Amino acid sequence: MQPFTLNYARPAVQLDVTTPYAYDSGLQLNVLPDGRIAATDHATLRALGTTTSTAGSKTHFDD
Amino acid sequence: MTVLILTSEEDVTADMVVLRLGEAGVPVVRLDPADLTNGVALSGEYVRGACRGQLSVGGRLVSMDGLRSVWVRRPGTPAARAAAPSAWLTEESSQALYGMLRCGDARWMNHPDAARRARHKPWQLGLAQRSGLAVPATLITTFPQAAREFAERFPDLVVKPVSGAHPQEPPRSVPTSRVAPDTDFTAVAYGPTLLQRRIAKRADIRLTVVGDTLLAARKPVDPDAHPDDVDVRFAPSVSPWQPAKVPPRVAEGVLRYMAGAELAYGAFDFAEDADGVWWFLECNQSGQFGFVEMDTGQPIAATIAKWLAGQGSTGDGCARGERGAPS
Repeated sequence: MQPFTLNYARPAVQLDVTTPYAYDSGLQLNVLPDGRIAATDHATLRALGTTTSTAGSKTHFDD
Repeated sequence: MTVLILTSEEDVTADMVVLRLGEAGVPVVRLDPADLTNGVALSGEYVRGACRGQLSVGGRLVSMDGLRSVWVRRPGTPAARAAAPSAWLTEESSQALYGMLRCGDARWMNHPDAARRARHKPWQLGLAQRSGLAVPATLITTFPQAAREFAERFPDLVVKPVSGAHPQEPPRSVPTSRVAPDTDFTAVAYGPTLLQRRIAKRADIRLTVVGDTLLAARKPVDPDAHPDDVDVRFAPSVSPWQPAKVPPRVAEGVLRYMAGAELAYGAFDFAEDADGVWWFLECNQSGQFGFVEMDTGQPIAATIAKWLAGQGSTGDGCARGERGAPS
């Protein structure tokens, strides 16, 4: 009784990634351990894929 | 006047906009509704014919009538991180927060009512048609026979979730997938199924719309790509996104769509075929943009910041107060 569409489902990729930045409530920005603003470090963002359109988000449909 | 950003702390894409607003000297208050009653507080009173509300987070206090705009980016479920979370507390918190914000004059990106409607992909297809955009032949059905007949008329099909959502127990992804010619459609009876004519694409298009500013990016399909690699999110990436020019008729259609949807922000996905036609696939009302900006250098975050600050072109989605009213 599985819906047709689920015949095409695949296991979600579990991104077990620890982000190297933390939220600074004073700046209202995420900050790297060396104090730089995470959003300015494109190499890190690319590596983590945190700004990327991804399928399978638990909480958001809109990617 | 302050810009209110509703999003999670880990939303580093929102940081790109916060930075631009800071550079422009625009006050920002950022909070996650998930922290209501546990780090985020609100209050509002309706006295002598006036409504006055306040929000506080992290030592910041902002009056709701001092808001110039509200960016609903990636907010958590209201009160999800409260000391004693419950479905009841979530509903109470949601109604308190969004109900009071609706009373104000701030403009929204995007208004929650417009956003809720805009998430319905079948509705998107109809609006895209009415807006003059090219929409691939599509069937949404629970009738197996309708699916069979559609497959006879359009032998090369893809299937994708109607909602765009993915099952979570266990976590699975459902990419847009090619349907084999001899497929058995019996299971269509067990769930609404979206079948669509496959576009033999030569590029994927991501068109980000902010107000009436259009920023398009194009990713050529690898000439050696397998025809089954339909979904750009799952296909191997061989080239970066590149800035693209929007065909005038598409631009007109997209702006009609934005006006019809009452959206201030939208991220459109198109498939470009061999003739250069842009086929509408969907419009994500809160779609990601950081990856496009990093590849193309297009100033998407700055454009959003300008819009939120009230300096950008407005478009029809920027309702001030009531939805759809001119700003």
